[in-house]
Amino acid sequence: MEYTFQWGEAFREFPYLMGGAWITLHLSFLGFWCGCTIGLFGAMAKSYGPKWLVNLVNVYVVFFTNTPGLVTAFFIFFGLPEFGIVLSPYKTMLLNIALNSGAYITEIMRGGFVSVRKMEMEAADSLGFSLMQSVRYVILPHIAKVLFAPLSNWYIWMILGTSAASILGVEELAGRAFNVASDTFRSIEIYIIVAFIYVAITILASALLAYIGRRVFRVKAKVF
Amino acid sequence: MFDLFLEQLPRFLTLENAGYLFWAMTRTLMMTVIGCGLGFLFGFVLVYLRTTPGWLFVPVRLFMISYVEFFRRVPFLVLLFLVLFVSKGLGQSYSLFTIACISIVIISTAFIGEIIRAGLESVHTTQWDTAMAMNFSRLQVLRHVVLPQAWKVIIPPAFAFFVVFIKDTALASQVGVMELTAVGKYFTNFGFSAILSFGSILILYFVLSYPLTRLGWWIEVRIKQSRAVEARLDAPTTTPYGLRTS
Repeated sequence: MEYTFQWGEAFREFPYLMGGAWITLHLSFLGFWCGCTIGLFGAMAKSYGPKWLVNLVNVYVVFFTNTPGLVTAFFIFFGLPEFGIVLSPYKTMLLNIALNSGAYITEIMRGGFVSVRKMEMEAADSLGFSLMQSVRYVILPHIAKVLFAPLSNWYIWMILGTSAASILGVEELAGRAFNVASDTFRSIEIYIIVAFIYVAITILASALLAYIGRRVFRVKAKVF
Repeated sequence: MFDLFLEQLPRFLTLENAGYLFWAMTRTLMMTVIGCGLGFLFGFVLVYLRTTPGWLFVPVRLFMISYVEFFRRVPFLVLLFLVLFVSKGLGQSYSLFTIACISIVIISTAFIGEIIRAGLESVHTTQWDTAMAMNFSRLQVLRHVVLPQAWKVIIPPAFAFFVVFIKDTALASQVGVMELTAVGKYFTNFGFSAILSFGSILILYFVLSYPLTRLGWWIEVRIKQSRAVEARLDAPTTTPYGLRTS
């Protein structure tokens, strides 16, 4: 069977697709920072909290790391309106990404918390630091270096994960690809171009993160 | 608030629906097992070709490296549609289940290939040299010297990747494969409350994934214990979602 590629029509939509790439990037960026915030407090609660709080955080982490992000997104998007809470697709996806990556980042950050020596926390205690102060001035500077590589890997993974947002109707890169493909019927060309855009933006993000890591945290990070 | 939920609950909890959900669960599991199993095999082949020395293999090496770098950075959803339309363009009429399996194989080959490469690299190169000096062929070195040591580094992250992919197969419902998520959508369209249908789907994914996660932890702990005896501590660390961190 013959298939003739027609790239012209697909490339005409290139600026439109790049606009989608921008939405992908800021959705994943916002989601990542919300996830980091949840993860930091989750790891704090898990390391220094009372027993009931540890159990609560454990339930949260185990639940979200063992269920697919897509189904939790459906649950939020179609389930919450039954309680009278209606969220837009973008907000649903942001909430979902924040909760989902918050669970994973809790685990990643806890690994960093464990790596801080107990004596340093005791020293901070004896100097009269509160928990927030010792996290801010003792733990964070330590774990920023240790966790830079896993967190930047996680961010790349999240850029790919946000393509699920298209299913709820957020017009990010994958969503715009579906739009263009159903407009022009040049599906194969469009999806090849979109795949290459994803590769390009993730390589760019990796390179940028490696540069930041090297300059700010002195981490030897690899792009490939 | 919960009246819709409570009203539909008896109608939802029938033996027929339970059987249907169980069937969908096995489909999800089958898809992942086939995809990741073949991905593991192809990953080995890929790494073997990628590490073959000699200038004759330069194009092969380049191809393998770009394969890994490309498919680790393409979202599963986009790849699914690409495979779907390319197979239609080639005039093949594979079932949707096959198309999902092919996409999983393509992606997991790239990811598991990286995991296997990290594992093989954890074995010191002097062991290769020694075995080569004893006139082992490359396959023999792999089979008798490197793999017996490397599989302990390979298995935990590869298993973690498999467990992660059980959840990622939810995206396959988008091309129309009948599996757990698709059944959830089907139930919602049938008129059941979204909390009921997607809630039960969430629970079923949890039932599928949590025991396997625990099994993965157990394997990792067992291997760590046996490794501690051998006192080899230079292995690359892995995160629970199968990406390399170092």
